[in-house]
Amino acid sequence: MAGDAPRVHYLAGFSCPLGGLEAGKPRVLCHEAEVFLSTGSEFVYVYDQEGGLLTAVYRFPGQVWHLQLLAPHRALYVLCARRGIYCLSLDTPSRSVSQANKDSEDGELPYPVIPVDPDACVLPDATLCAFTVLDDMLVTLAQGPTQWKMQLFERPCLGEDPQPGQVGEVELSTYTPHPGIPGKPTAPCFLPVLCCVSLPGSRAPHGHPQGRGTFTLEEALFGLLFGADATLLESPVILCGLPDGQLSCVVLRALVTSRSAPGNPKALVRILHHLEEPVIFIGALKTEPQAEEAVESELPSEEVHSDCLVALGHDGRMLAIKASWDESGNLVPELQEYCLPGPVLCAACGGGSRIYHSTPLDLCVVDLAQGSTPLDPQQPNRAPGGLPPTLCPASLSICSVLTVSVSPRAPAGETMLLALSAKGRLMTCSLSCKTPGPTRMTAASADRKIKELLSGIGDVSERVSFLKKAVDQRNKALTSLNEAMNLSCALLSSRQGPRPISCTTTTSWSRLPLQDVLTATCLLENSGDFSLDRGWTLCIQVLTSSSALDLDAAGSAVSYTIPVDRLGPGSQREVTLPLGPTESGVLDLPVTVSCALFYSLREVVGGALAPSDPLEDPFLEEHALDLLPEQEGICLPLSRHTVDMLQCLRFPGLASPHAQAPSLLSPACDPVDTFLETCRVPSREPAGLASLRAKYLPPPVASVQVSAELLRMALEDARSGVPLCSATLRWLLAENAAVDTVKAQTLSSIQGVAPSGTDIHLIIHEVTVTDLCPAGPIQAVEIQVESSSLADMCRAHHAIVGRMQAMVREQAAQNSSPPDLRMQYLRQIHANHEVLLREVQALRDRLCTEDEASSCATAQRLLQVYKQLRSPSLVLL
Amino acid sequence: MAHPSFLGSPAARASCLDLWKEKNDRLVRQAKVAQDSGLSPRRQQLVQDTLEGLRELLHTLHGLPAAVPVLPLELTVTCNFIILKVSLAQGFTEDQAQDIQRGLERVLETQEQLGPRLEQGIRKLWESVLHASSLLLELLPVLHHLAGLQAALWLSTDCLEDLTLLLQTLNGNQNGTSKDLLLLLKTWNPPALESDAPLTLQDARGLRDVLLTAFAYRQGLQELISGSLPRALSSLHEAASGLCPRPLLVQVYTALGSCLRKMGNPQRALLYLIAALKGGSSYGPPLLEASRLYRQLGDTAAELESLELLVKALSATHTSEVPQLIIEVELLLPQPDPASPLYCGTQSQAKHLLASRCLQMGRAEDAAEHYLDLLALLLDGSDPRFCPPPCPPGPCMPEVFLEAAAALIQAGRAQDALTVCEELLTRTSSLLPKISQLWGDARKGTKKLPSCPLWVSAVYLLQGWAWVQLRTPKEAISKFSRCLELLFWAIPEDKEQGTASKCEQGCRSDVALQQLRAAALISRGLEWAASGQDTKALQDFLLSVQMCPGNRDASFHLLQTLRRLDRRDEATAVCWRLQAQTQLPQEETTWSLPLYLEIYLSWIHSPDCETLLEEFQTSLLEPHDL
Repeated sequence: MAGDAPRVHYLAGFSCPLGGLEAGKPRVLCHEAEVFLSTGSEFVYVYDQEGGLLTAVYRFPGQVWHLQLLAPHRALYVLCARRGIYCLSLDTPSRSVSQANKDSEDGELPYPVIPVDPDACVLPDATLCAFTVLDDMLVTLAQGPTQWKMQLFERPCLGEDPQPGQVGEVELSTYTPHPGIPGKPTAPCFLPVLCCVSLPGSRAPHGHPQGRGTFTLEEALFGLLFGADATLLESPVILCGLPDGQLSCVVLRALVTSRSAPGNPKALVRILHHLEEPVIFIGALKTEPQAEEAVESELPSEEVHSDCLVALGHDGRMLAIKASWDESGNLVPELQEYCLPGPVLCAACGGGSRIYHSTPLDLCVVDLAQGSTPLDPQQPNRAPGGLPPTLCPASLSICSVLTVSVSPRAPAGETMLLALSAKGRLMTCSLSCKTPGPTRMTAASADRKIKELLSGIGDVSERVSFLKKAVDQRNKALTSLNEAMNLSCALLSSRQGPRPISCTTTTSWSRLPLQDVLTATCLLENSGDFSLDRGWTLCIQVLTSSSALDLDAAGSAVSYTIPVDRLGPGSQREVTLPLGPTESGVLDLPVTVSCALFYSLREVVGGALAPSDPLEDPFLEEHALDLLPEQEGICLPLSRHTVDMLQCLRFPGLASPHAQAPSLLSPACDPVDTFLETCRVPSREPAGLASLRAKYLPPPVASVQVSAELLRMALEDARSGVPLCSATLRWLLAENAAVDTVKAQTLSSIQGVAPSGTDIHLIIHEVTVTDLCPAGPIQAVEIQVESSSLADMCRAHHAIVGRMQAMVREQAAQNSSPPDLRMQYLRQIHANHEVLLREVQALRDRLCTEDEASSCATAQRLLQVYKQLRSPSLVLL
Repeated sequence: MAHPSFLGSPAARASCLDLWKEKNDRLVRQAKVAQDSGLSPRRQQLVQDTLEGLRELLHTLHGLPAAVPVLPLELTVTCNFIILKVSLAQGFTEDQAQDIQRGLERVLETQEQLGPRLEQGIRKLWESVLHASSLLLELLPVLHHLAGLQAALWLSTDCLEDLTLLLQTLNGNQNGTSKDLLLLLKTWNPPALESDAPLTLQDARGLRDVLLTAFAYRQGLQELISGSLPRALSSLHEAASGLCPRPLLVQVYTALGSCLRKMGNPQRALLYLIAALKGGSSYGPPLLEASRLYRQLGDTAAELESLELLVKALSATHTSEVPQLIIEVELLLPQPDPASPLYCGTQSQAKHLLASRCLQMGRAEDAAEHYLDLLALLLDGSDPRFCPPPCPPGPCMPEVFLEAAAALIQAGRAQDALTVCEELLTRTSSLLPKISQLWGDARKGTKKLPSCPLWVSAVYLLQGWAWVQLRTPKEAISKFSRCLELLFWAIPEDKEQGTASKCEQGCRSDVALQQLRAAALISRGLEWAASGQDTKALQDFLLSVQMCPGNRDASFHLLQTLRRLDRRDEATAVCWRLQAQTQLPQEETTWSLPLYLEIYLSWIHSPDCETLLEEFQTSLLEPHDL
């Protein structure tokens, strides 16, 4: 066998997608000189072996999953994914197709592409996954919502009623649905395998073993497997191999059901075996030497009565069953499991004792005949007729064959295989059954030899290109990972000093048609010598604080992820995000903007783990990716920036001379209102209610006192001859977009507009605090905030206090000693505040429990207490 | 980065809403057009397109935040989508449960109380939604619609407890309301839809009616099977009075007939069966029920006639009806199982029933003809629609052959019976143990004996009797001997032997084996006796009595032989034993025997057994008195 040098001839090439064809769906079968071929796409090709050319190409409305030829009826049955079964008549190709729309766009092709007419669909059913057609019957396997369903129909012919008469149906077994988009069926990875087994000499016509489909088993094995009833009735039996590994059989003549008498799976379906891996192929072999009657009557190959049933799983597990008699004369099944190299892409057997199976690396042949392998020395007394204990696959040196069938046209003593490679090449492979003796090399044989060598080289180069691609991909992924690792180390270790990657956030107002929007601009800067490549994303999280008015609502967070597509050393990227205000004009300050870099392992490594070679185990891809959860990656925090009221203030009155003061659009207000508002500006006198309120309801005020000494020290370098008050103001507004305008003038008070549109007045003046320090009066700076909106006043106050805290912390770090204080006084203030805080807590608790009427009063009191708390009784020193 | 709402003004929102509503209405109308256009690929395409359209529309609506004004439309589209999907797939799946859950979550989203409830089951979800909807009156009609679908889903998956709770909540949730689902369904009154509401494929009231009928019928059938007949009667009456499509009405009437028959009201039962037959569509179940009724009444002629009609009715090809594009009652019913009185099986099962009833009722000629018809149909294979009686409820195929042979012998056609037996043996020859090897091993007596199916021995037994009828004692005795040999090797094994036909399990009961052995021994003994070899006969009869002490025929034949041989003491002992047996209540031994064996046993039974026994007793007593 190993001496068989296969002779390979390439017949034709077919279009194949990048990365090669997918295994499992292509089919090839041969009838006389014609080869019918589907590559898993929507085309079915008819190739004439004698003429060496394509004679027809049929285009179906979806992927073609299975072909079967019913030679005596000259009909080709085609399973089209999600559509159903189509029937093409081979005699009159034009009858089944609409001539009118013969493709004109494919004009450059040498053969006509014939679109298949929808009327050729003889069994429309979107759930069909497999079928087998007998002389007068059609058996289908449909994927129900939770179960496989086998249905038996009278064989539909072209031009008949589109709904063939259903004879019976039975549910096979449950399966776990493939996880996918709910409601949307996903293409199954493995299709089930159906085939029909009959008894020799039974009247049920069979005997067209084209491709997979039908075969004949000798009586003893048949009866043993399927029981006395099937034998008595001489009924064909449908064998079904499912993707979960189950191998079951259904006696066809028993499969007659109706709505009032539904099929009982327990009575109709018998499970023969469980392979525990997807069943790829079911076939039958003749393992015992041809008896003399076969020789003398010259039986055609299709009438061989097989004596061994084989089923082959995707991972190479093969089951062989034979019938034998035990010591006492009982008929017993002999089961033998073998392990062949996997993953198996396809297999075929052709009447003899050999089974051909293809893996991505090789096309192999194994022989189950007696004596084909040396007998195990431990078991010299094996019963004759038994199965070999082990198999040794012999290589045929053809890689990545996706579908193979045994051609019946081979000359005597030879086997001819028809195969389709992953690159879409159709080839024949001739094997001689006997080991040829040494022959003299003639010119013709030398010629052939060279051809064989060339085709062998072609095969190897195909394989090499696959492997190279995979290696490249893995190298790339490794490089990327290494760089990500370096970058992470650099970022995480350099807490002090300049970081190689930095992100700074600034805010500004931008004008949009209807309203002004506060935008944050994040600037990602790469100052190191790393480059950010594929796989990196910049994640920005905008976290708004909770609204003070709603006690329970948590702040909302919005995340933005922006892929960083190649950021080389020294380059930078700017991202602008809207912060608000929202439609309703609300901008809950302060807003925190956090930036982080995220490196997705899935994106980078996933590609490399996925087999670049589509022939490799499709499960591998799933498994490897399963190891990487969706969120797996490296997250590097970059910066955190808080946007507070002081940064969002706008100063329409402070316009620099060269820029026209932009008329502010208060958020979410009607353009008409805005227009009216601007018209009213000249009349400075506030009218009506507003003026009354201004008169009798003084706006809420809050103030903070800071020791002048402290401020002076903090602002030392920035002050340079400017009065302390205006320096303080500049310092407060340092992060505001209008800081330059403020700097240009010497101001101690400023009128600004909050995002909600209310005015905010900042007044800064120097005061003297007398009763705090025993050493004497302290010079202090009082910062006063005034706004007609309580909420905005609070936000501004909060922002100022925040600055102060930061400053004090900084100064404390520089170890400046505070002046002596009157401790008694401080304690008094502290005690007062504690009382007030306790009251606040109590009031807030009450607010939660009370009903609306009384809660109003409570809220009122709460505001008062807050006001007291805010009262400037303390100076920051 | 886009702002969440692109529907700036209320005007745009309204017009979009109108647009979507218009799309929904168009799709519903399209489905109705498809409904009326009969079964064709075009129709299927149209329905698929409609389904895709609804799916798309639903996706669009789900893309927006849930809002109360849009929800009635959104939920209506959800309902339409589910109804179309279910009617296409002819059943509910997990997908529908998810669709419903999605709808409920959308309702809760508007209430801003979704957070913690996501983890809860669908039952709690309904509770919260119905609680929330008391605040949102405009959602109530469409929620009732969705609830109708949930109820249908739960009914089809048998979650009756959930269903009861849901209906209680829908009916206003008074504590202490009835737990009777039927009552709850009746009192459920879904609010009517407004005239400008989006179109639906099937409204909530329609769903309610379907649920009511389906539940009443299910319950009635269950009660009928479990034997609580008066309650079954009332449930079935309820089902018959509701919205009931014609094919279902036939089933309901048949079930009513079955119920009344069991309650002892044959005349009323007959009225319902006649009504069922008038309903057309499926004649099988009422005819089978009628045959049971006549059997109960003892009217054999009518019983066989209805069985003949049943065979004819089942031979008619049933045309598959175009399923409606709504949720029908049939979708909510469980598959009929063989235990149901409405299960009428296939044509071959009916034919077998007819033939076996003929055989049992002593109409041997008819039985033989029916059996030959049955075998011809089964073996011919020309009609693929003809299916053999499946194993578990009926006998296995070899037994059908044996019954046919027995019927032929009974009808006096021994030659035909031999042909049938020969056919059976040739067809299964490859399955039988290699007989030659078997003989050899048996002579050596060392090796384990092969196990052989009981029916193989039975074939030889029947062949033997056929030869007896043909007056060829030599052949007959050899067949009986072969049968006995096989029988003594066939030790009933409990464990199933490999993949051998499992139907043998039914026949391989101890009782059947004993009776077969006794029958074979008696038959051979009778043949010996007829040819004057009384000692051999005596041996066989003795063995048969040992083998099967309860068999009175064995003892009787033994007694007769002993008397003929004039062995009075032994005869007296046998006689006393026989008498003692007569005093005991007659054991029902034949209940588990295959039909062919029952028939066979009737052949070796002497009808004048009792009189002969009495006569013998008097003759025994006389000498004692003297």
